Amino acid sequence: MIRSRPAPVAPRLRLRLLATGLGLAFLAVAGQLANLQILSGERMAALSDRNRLRLRPIVAPRGILFDRAGLPLVDNRPAFTLVVVPRDVPDLDALVGRLAELLAVPVSELKERLARVSSDSPWPIRLSRGLTLDEVARIEEWRLDLPGVTVEVEPQRAYPGVRFAAHLLGYVREASDQDLGRNGMRRGDLVGQTGLERLHDGHLRGRDGGEQVEVDAYGRMIRILDRQEPVPGAHMWTTIDRRIQQAAEDALGARAGAIVVMDPRNGDVLALTSHPAYPVERFSRPLDRETWLALVQDPTRPLLNRAVQGIYPPGSLFKIVVAAAALQSQVITPFDRLSCPRQWVFGGRPYHNWEDHDRGALTLHEALQFSCNTYFYQLGLKLGPEKIVQMAGAFGLGRVTESGLTGERSGLVPSPAWKRETLKDKWHPGDTVSLSIGQGLITVTPLQVARMMAAVANGGTLWKPRLVDRVATADGRLLHEEAPEIQGRVEMAPVIFEFLREALGAVVAEGTGKQARVPGVTVGGKTGTAQTHEFRSDADRKRRDQDHAWFAGFAPLDEPQVVVVVFAERAGLGGQVAAPIAREVLKAVFLEKVARADLPR
Amino acid sequence: MLRVDRRLLVQFDWQLFGLAGCLIVAGLVTVSTLVPRLGARQLIALGIATVAAMVVLAVDYRTLARWACWGYGLGLVTLLGVLLVGRAAMGARRWIAVGPVSLQPSELFKLAFIGTLAVYLASRESSRPGWDRLIVPLALTLPAVALIVKQPDLGTALTLLPVAAALILVGGARWRHLGMLAGCGLAVLPVFWFLLRDYQRERILVFIDPSRDPLGSAWNVIQAKITIGSGQLAGKGLFGGTQSRLAFLPERHTDFVFAAFAESWGFLGAMGLLVVYVLLVLRGFEVAATARDTLGSLLATGATVLLATQALVNLGMVTGLLPVVGIPLPFVSYGGSALLTAVGAVALIANVRMRRFA
Repeated sequence: MIRSRPAPVAPRLRLRLLATGLGLAFLAVAGQLANLQILSGERMAALSDRNRLRLRPIVAPRGILFDRAGLPLVDNRPAFTLVVVPRDVPDLDALVGRLAELLAVPVSELKERLARVSSDSPWPIRLSRGLTLDEVARIEEWRLDLPGVTVEVEPQRAYPGVRFAAHLLGYVREASDQDLGRNGMRRGDLVGQTGLERLHDGHLRGRDGGEQVEVDAYGRMIRILDRQEPVPGAHMWTTIDRRIQQAAEDALGARAGAIVVMDPRNGDVLALTSHPAYPVERFSRPLDRETWLALVQDPTRPLLNRAVQGIYPPGSLFKIVVAAAALQSQVITPFDRLSCPRQWVFGGRPYHNWEDHDRGALTLHEALQFSCNTYFYQLGLKLGPEKIVQMAGAFGLGRVTESGLTGERSGLVPSPAWKRETLKDKWHPGDTVSLSIGQGLITVTPLQVARMMAAVANGGTLWKPRLVDRVATADGRLLHEEAPEIQGRVEMAPVIFEFLREALGAVVAEGTGKQARVPGVTVGGKTGTAQTHEFRSDADRKRRDQDHAWFAGFAPLDEPQVVVVVFAERAGLGGQVAAPIAREVLKAVFLEKVARADLPR
Repeated sequence: MLRVDRRLLVQFDWQLFGLAGCLIVAGLVTVSTLVPRLGARQLIALGIATVAAMVVLAVDYRTLARWACWGYGLGLVTLLGVLLVGRAAMGARRWIAVGPVSLQPSELFKLAFIGTLAVYLASRESSRPGWDRLIVPLALTLPAVALIVKQPDLGTALTLLPVAAALILVGGARWRHLGMLAGCGLAVLPVFWFLLRDYQRERILVFIDPSRDPLGSAWNVIQAKITIGSGQLAGKGLFGGTQSRLAFLPERHTDFVFAAFAESWGFLGAMGLLVVYVLLVLRGFEVAATARDTLGSLLATGATVLLATQALVNLGMVTGLLPVVGIPLPFVSYGGSALLTAVGAVALIANVRMRRFA
């Protein structure tokens, strides 16, 4: 096909339109070039001279942790941070030496902070956090001898007390080298490492903003060229009740141990404490070798969160499980009786009750009330290990609670199958005897006990311990919400739960748990005294101050609203040591009822 | 050896290749002063590009356009395959290794895309313009754009859209339809955008462009501005660019190469470069206006608009007029695949011009 002339193939008008549009765009670029190179050329040249531009990060304040009533558990306060821009420092070694002198810190500590960055880096490095006013004054005084050094004000965690709820709240620490780059973390960012701070850390952290600033030769700001506001971290509303938490901490006092307070109606954790604790705030700064070693090697183990990481034999608390299993499998009825002698011999070995006299034949109700060991040895043997293990599993023992707290342990409910597989050993009837009073290889965490007692109190529902209610931004945008979650159900006749609650009420009313009585409130509970070593002499048996003291209870008896679990490490008898601590916590929980009951009639 | 009609050689477009040559030389010099070892590598790429240009010139553009349709289909399948199976090779999705040479397929895909759209629109030239002139090109464009965005390569995706728009315009769609298209586009975009919440918008932006960083990219732009501005009227000379040499300028030999050039040569040099681009684009449109048939006209238009928008988006980004999107400056930035595409586009335009009387 041959055409006589080039066909009017494309409408010229349209091509011209296109060309004009593109031409205008090129004109815009030309205009911007004139603007940059001619109009602001001199200023830009000055800026480029020694490159006087700095990027100054503006730290996003970390979200606040609130208790269930909206009271802050952890807040922020402004703090002074010492910042250095290596590029602006002519002689880094000299500077580090001078700073070490001014701040009275070892040179090595400051050197360590600068070790991982280039000495020509234009990025600010945080040398030290939380300077005192005194230190700031000294720095300012020597300002002219400290080129490249500035003191910035940044938000820092403010804790209600040095060790208040340390294990529950957890600590924040500067991102480690492994953290960098993950989730956009930068050197010097603070990251929640344990406890509540670690849960939803990404939301709590927010996003840093920054400023582009022009500085003089000393690194002092001349003007701000551009600013990007930080996005503050979202707040977290927890299920904790700060008042009860405080009461629990006070009640435990200087004793090593843990307390868990839980709402049996939904699994809300109202308080969780572990003692001894560590100074939380100290952890946000780099630890030196000595402090670290001191904490790690401390025989009282202050870094261990005993409420979830500590595993201990439950002792007589476990009799609740054995009683439940016996009633459910109809090995015994509430009307049957078994003997409660001072001493009971099995397999040629004498097993003792904790009391020195014979109580005669007891009902199950009475056996729980007086926590008779010799009764439960016999009951356990009648029942057999399988049924006990099964019931313990139903109550959530031997299984983590999935609370989300760091390093939670599962504890152990030994079974014949487990012993065969793991220890390559036969299950002896003696194992059953030990197990039936919560001794031997069985271990639990205080939080597991709380979950179990909540199930006893609420008629069999195994709630996941709930610590976080919601995470939301300051302007109310919901980022995360947690509903109460059922983890399981203890399938048992309601009359058995009723029987257990009644018997546990009797424990506190007139049994071993008398010291947990609270005026104006009916309390149910069980004491436990767990032996910490297996073989003891007869004299040793009388000295029980090395035993773990337990009390696990709930109140009010008829309509339980709260479960309290007290664990006191190597503190003595549960009824004498743990029960009074629980009483103090319960008094705080039922403040008004207690006050009303105390009024003279 | 390919049989080349001697009459064609007479028609070889010295002006077009001269302009492209100026840009290439400017790029080579700038890149070499910044990172000497990369200058040599860019020379090798130039050699390959020259051979490719000769092949493109030797084959009639009507044949090339038919090949392009196959290339387009193959490209789509590749993109889809990469999307479906490419999860493991996350970081390396944009690249395909061919022996020692690694190639960015989405670069060459741009030319195949132009060819395909041009072939379709040219095939409809004798029929009455209807919705088909709009719908079919859009149907050819949008899936490809979506797949490339997913790659993720926002830069390439963004250059395909103006090219498609230009081809639809020149391809003879009715004004009424064009108006509707523009209206719909303008209406839908902001509605969609404002329906999103802040953090979702942010997420999308971060997803599309992972390098998006409130401090990082803003820092790049202000440094680029200072670099350009500090060149002032006459520039600091070839080796006087402190900003770019001291590595304050990020990606100084690739996407931000223009800043280094403008620092060395000043406003005069930068304007000179700009003028070369404008002359090149005008020449492209001239070829489009005088082509023998609609296909040729459309091919020349597409190639010209491709080069122009790439240059404009890059220059706009480097001078701080547009947000930061990773697009190289055609002919000048370091990078073999981009150079190959740019030279290919010029060769395509020249091919159309050579055969305007044949």
